[in-house]
Amino acid sequence: MKNGKSAFLSVRDLTVVYTARKKIVHAVNGVSFDMQKGETLGLVGETGAGKTTIAKSILRILPNPPAKVLGGEILLEGKDLMTVPEKDMLKIRGEKVAMIFQDPMTALNPLMTIGDQIIEGLQLHNDFNDAEAAQKAKELLEMVGIHAARFNEYPFEFSGGMKQRVVIAMALACEPELLLADEPTTALDVTIQAQVLDLIAKLKVKYNASMILITHNLGVVAQTCDRVAVIYAGKIIEYGSKKDVFVDNAHPYTHGLFASLPSFSKDSPRLKAIAGSMPDPTNLPQGCAFHPRCPYAIEKCRISEIPLTEIAPGHFCRCCNIQQKG
Amino acid sequence: MPPLIEVKNLSKYFKVPAGVLHAVDNVSFAIEKGQTLGVVGESGCGKSTLGRTIIRLQESTAGHILLDGEDITHVTGKKLKEVRNKVQIVFQDPYSSLNPRLRIDDTIREPLRNSGKYSRSQLNERASALMDLVGIDVRLRQSYPHELDGGRRQRVGIARALAVDPEFIVCDEPVSSLDVSIQAQVLNLLMDLQEKMGVTYMFVTHDLSVVRHISNTICVMYLGEVVEMCPSKELFTNSLHPYTKALLSAIPSLDINQPMQPIPLKGELTSPINPKPGCRFFPRCPYAKGGCQEPQKLEEVSAKHYVACCRAHEIN
Repeated sequence: MKNGKSAFLSVRDLTVVYTARKKIVHAVNGVSFDMQKGETLGLVGETGAGKTTIAKSILRILPNPPAKVLGGEILLEGKDLMTVPEKDMLKIRGEKVAMIFQDPMTALNPLMTIGDQIIEGLQLHNDFNDAEAAQKAKELLEMVGIHAARFNEYPFEFSGGMKQRVVIAMALACEPELLLADEPTTALDVTIQAQVLDLIAKLKVKYNASMILITHNLGVVAQTCDRVAVIYAGKIIEYGSKKDVFVDNAHPYTHGLFASLPSFSKDSPRLKAIAGSMPDPTNLPQGCAFHPRCPYAIEKCRISEIPLTEIAPGHFCRCCNIQQKG
Repeated sequence: MPPLIEVKNLSKYFKVPAGVLHAVDNVSFAIEKGQTLGVVGESGCGKSTLGRTIIRLQESTAGHILLDGEDITHVTGKKLKEVRNKVQIVFQDPYSSLNPRLRIDDTIREPLRNSGKYSRSQLNERASALMDLVGIDVRLRQSYPHELDGGRRQRVGIARALAVDPEFIVCDEPVSSLDVSIQAQVLNLLMDLQEKMGVTYMFVTHDLSVVRHISNTICVMYLGEVVEMCPSKELFTNSLHPYTKALLSAIPSLDINQPMQPIPLKGELTSPINPKPGCRFFPRCPYAKGGCQEPQKLEEVSAKHYVACCRAHEIN
């Protein structure tokens, strides 16, 4: 994870804050990870953990103010996106890196037909005339399972699942190499979620794209990702292969997250909830941000910054008291 | 002893410009005292409308609602107020269901004051007891809702519902807007309260793992109709309706070695406006056949296991 150079995408020490009414919200606090071509990385964490901020930083679409990137590098094939001029960034957005937004109800322009919305991106990045662009947009619609005849319809005429497919078609229009999917199925029902996940998986293979999948649904991660990073209060607290995180998880927070899920196989009347709630991001606790909720916290956790250490090949954990966990 | 809640052929239709929307259609069930009925289904299947209709937040179109054997379908005035002291609701969204201008303890006092049963000192005592019960810190009792996170707000919603000592609470997706670690705290709280006070729940949700955890019986709805109803565990081991099977198969498993194999469904939910007679799942069903266009009846196929599918025997 620390070998930077050869990776397709390498995020180094990303730090982002928001300013809100003279308070500083520490949203992302030194996040680093690498990704290879074709790989799917799951970013898992609870509301406010900083997952979406990480994705938006990669595309440089955070509103400034209130957001401010304090430091870090985002290397896409060795090129630092943080220092690229805005003019070049326009080419990268959509063409090399595209994003699927969380809420299909608000990600589309209600006053434009879905056909025109797909064409907009196509013509921005390619020398298509109107007829060519329309043709390509219709192909994209068919590819995500929407009849091309609905090309001239407005977003309100589609259901939630279909709108999300339109958003996916738009993201894939220019065949991006990196796809940032921000909770792509959270607003959808399970049967539709299954269809959309299947679609994303097939298209990812077709274009050999890499993907960062942001979600709080651990089942979705289990079914789609190669690697997983667990985020807590703006930091990666555990990172590794799917097996490392799902089966051999070492951090007390990751452990607690899995234990708190109602299960289909276990029969215990009480769930093992994690006590307390997320720390206030304007006033993060000193030391490990999880220590006030952690059953294994020791003195060291309250004082010093805990580093992310490799506990097995490729498996990283930010905890100084792993051995204590039963 | 009659069941605490009994619903007989309950329907709720809405008139919309395009016709009549069948939100809840001919639903019948009973919930015994101290038990939990889970109602599951996808968005738009009528599960929330069902809950709201049962507790008389909306008037039903047809059918009967019985509370402790007594018909409350059309009671009004003083009698309705009595009913309201017995049935309560916890809403889905703890952000919009609390009055932003009321302090937490005032929100909880309001139903107590309305019940007219408490003197001022009793009122304060009771409000404190309720907040202790659901675990709201003393320091937060004078706060406004915006100062609380989702999990704490939902505790306020639960305390408010418990204030009048109800016998029956409709929980309308009470944990779906909460993070998993907080969700577990709230589910534990609801189950503890049931154990302590013997309250009866109708638990409306789209999350099947949550409903399995908390319910004794589960009822699966599709476009306003009950398609399957059975004891909680049986639904997950021996589901009979094709829709239930598809729903269960679509849940992404946490087991990384068990790839998801969802049963493919054609298209999406059809419209609940002016539905045709016959099975409403028919256009998407992988087992659809001629007989499915006839009206389907919810039949008891084995002990306490009801299914509304004319091909249930054949396909299982």
